[in-house]
Amino acid sequence: MVFNSIEFFIFLFIVFVLYWTLFKTHVKVQNVFLVIVSYIFYGWWDWRFLSLILLSTTVDYFTGIMIDSNTKPSRRKLWLWVSVFFNVGLLGFFKYFNFFIDSWLDMVSLLGYNIKSTWTLKIILPVGISFYTFQTMSYSFDIYYNKLKPTKDYLSFAAFVSFFPQLVAGPIERASNLLSQIINRRVFSYDQVVGGLKLILWGLFKKIVIADALAPIVDDIFANYSSYPASTLVLGVTLFSFQVYGDFSGYSDIAIGTAKLFGIELRSNFKFPNFSRNVAEYWQRWHVSLSTWFRHYVYIPLGGSRVSKLKSVRNIIIIFLVSGFWHGANWTFIFWGAFHAMAYIPVFLMGRNTMYKHNVVGEHRLFPSLIEIGQLILTFSIITFSRIFFRSESITDAFAFIKIICSNFSYEVYHHPMGYRMIDYYILIALFVLYEYRIRKDERSPFKFKSKIIRFIVYTIVVLGMLLFYDSHIDRSFIYFQF
Amino acid sequence: MKKLFLKTTLYIVLVLISLEGIVRVFHLAKDNPARYIDKHKVEKWVPNQEGYSVTGNRRQNFSKFYINNSGYNSYREFTPSKEKTEIALVGDSFIEGFHQHYYNSIGKKIENRLEGVEVYEYGYAGYDLADQLHLIWAYKDQFDLIDHVVLGFKFENDLTRDEYHVVKDRMQLESPLYKNLRRIKLLVYAQNIGILDPVRNVISRILMLGKKSNNTKKVATQKEIEEKQLKYLENFKSLIDIYGFDKARFVFLLDSNKTPGVFLDYLDHSGLKYIDTYHELSKSKTPTTLIYDRHWNNHGRNIIASLIVENYKLKD
Repeated sequence: MVFNSIEFFIFLFIVFVLYWTLFKTHVKVQNVFLVIVSYIFYGWWDWRFLSLILLSTTVDYFTGIMIDSNTKPSRRKLWLWVSVFFNVGLLGFFKYFNFFIDSWLDMVSLLGYNIKSTWTLKIILPVGISFYTFQTMSYSFDIYYNKLKPTKDYLSFAAFVSFFPQLVAGPIERASNLLSQIINRRVFSYDQVVGGLKLILWGLFKKIVIADALAPIVDDIFANYSSYPASTLVLGVTLFSFQVYGDFSGYSDIAIGTAKLFGIELRSNFKFPNFSRNVAEYWQRWHVSLSTWFRHYVYIPLGGSRVSKLKSVRNIIIIFLVSGFWHGANWTFIFWGAFHAMAYIPVFLMGRNTMYKHNVVGEHRLFPSLIEIGQLILTFSIITFSRIFFRSESITDAFAFIKIICSNFSYEVYHHPMGYRMIDYYILIALFVLYEYRIRKDERSPFKFKSKIIRFIVYTIVVLGMLLFYDSHIDRSFIYFQF
Repeated sequence: MKKLFLKTTLYIVLVLISLEGIVRVFHLAKDNPARYIDKHKVEKWVPNQEGYSVTGNRRQNFSKFYINNSGYNSYREFTPSKEKTEIALVGDSFIEGFHQHYYNSIGKKIENRLEGVEVYEYGYAGYDLADQLHLIWAYKDQFDLIDHVVLGFKFENDLTRDEYHVVKDRMQLESPLYKNLRRIKLLVYAQNIGILDPVRNVISRILMLGKKSNNTKKVATQKEIEEKQLKYLENFKSLIDIYGFDKARFVFLLDSNKTPGVFLDYLDHSGLKYIDTYHELSKSKTPTTLIYDRHWNNHGRNIIASLIVENYKLKD
């Protein structure tokens, strides 16, 4: 049951009405209901995966209590490692087992030994496993670092782990934010629900109009890159930048909006990353829940930037490599992570990694300055270039793709694989960028207009956009579900 | 909650009304001509209607149609006589040609290539061989005056029945409910682009709850395929027996690649002629069909027109 399916909206409507009518009386009742509907939502993919989520919930619930109840540091550490081993083990088995086997066999074959692979398994990757294992691990970490007291309420903890709006692709929540809301009774708020509906509408627009509409073009260019000129490859990876942003930020907006319908505020996951002035700012705006997770639980424990410059650089390389590897068991993601580390380190060494933390491009101005425009273009180009690794099927494909761009630049008009007018997409992207610039100060209020008439016109245009760019023939799944 | 539902409903209604206006102003949805059954029990379009056929989202294909006095999409009226030379094209939506301007049809292209010849296009979406032969039989007086008759033919679709009868399912589209629904242009547009398909699928799945599902696609065995082909061949013979077939004037227009050899052999042995579209269409370097459906585009129609002209000249 994906967010852009009719089944989900029927499900959401029923659950919303029941939640605020029959199950609103007591926090326990609300949480029982949330757990049941979240399990139904998750079981819709494959009911067998429910056992994993139940196991993960139970293990982290008890390890949390055990960490807290022990005063001896070594014991606390031991229980923390139980949680980490369990979650990383779960992830490692389902996501990385075959990758390690294949890589090992490749390495052995390089040494001249040919071993026939009989160890690789036919494993289905349980949807959302990368997200909820990280979420439950953060709970154990927070207790270990004395930032959080464990809950004794198993039901609330189960609701925290399985809360359906953010279960399968984030935002990866921290217990200090989500669990604290779950243990308290939620009260219906008209403004909050309306805010949620607006975010859902905007998320659907980004998914259907931006991501899904660009998908056939990107798929075509990456699948047939060797037969296209460099200009088309540049177009393909640029459009992929918009596609992946529309896809994932659209998903996050729907998730945050859906949570709001149930009286819960999730953290923002995307803060207009296309308006970043350097790579460091980009990482403060793109997939924020994952980057903060790595910062809090990997980078800072390693010493962060409080150690020597050399060690800080080492830490940066580690978190980007781990982040790349988190995305998937493929060398392309590791190269993608390494590339980002290389792009981030100069910014860090120049001391410019936090300079844009508390302001946005064109702050207090209608338009960005020329310098800012230059910074935006440069950052966008670096990020877009890195996406060649992210999108390519293999590392060989990625380098071949880059080679065509760098060695033999030629231009040819590109035609849509299904025959649509390409100009429609260029106009669409231009309008989308302009609109996002207009709303860049608040990612949670995409329709913030004082005039009701203007707001209504924007709603109409958004729905019209969905009607104009909807295509029944394309795959509508979310890119980040594979992670 | 009450306020939420009231305001949301109000907004939804207002947005839908605005969208209906936009769809109408920019003519994003197709016009649906009315159909009827005439006194000879032939299903056709109500004469003298015109409108626009629209395909795909963002009006990717947009063309005007005109239904003449005879109830078919054509720029000319059908007035066969002994003095003139006429060619009739009888067939389904490929001949009907709603996806092209009616002045740019296959018939018009043939006329441009054959001076002094009038081409009458008896095309109607969904016509199978039973419809086509019954039409010729019902309007025998007219068709006897036509010099050359080309029958658009698809083995897979056109031989499912051995006798003509009115297709009631299609005529249900003329019920007051459907007619009123078609007046909502936003709905027509939404249906055309397939945005309503998921809703329809969910409804059908709900209706199927508890019933045994037949969704698993069974792959037909060779024996089943052969049996079906024989059954279709029997249907073909039956239709010819009932409605007659003038071997001298009638010719099929078919794709040999989509027609079983057993049927092509039968045509050859029986002295029934056909124009094969396969080789010319397949060797074309540019696409011969539209983006959204398999109907011939302008280039495809040019090829078909040339094939028919070539065949007509051979006859002479």
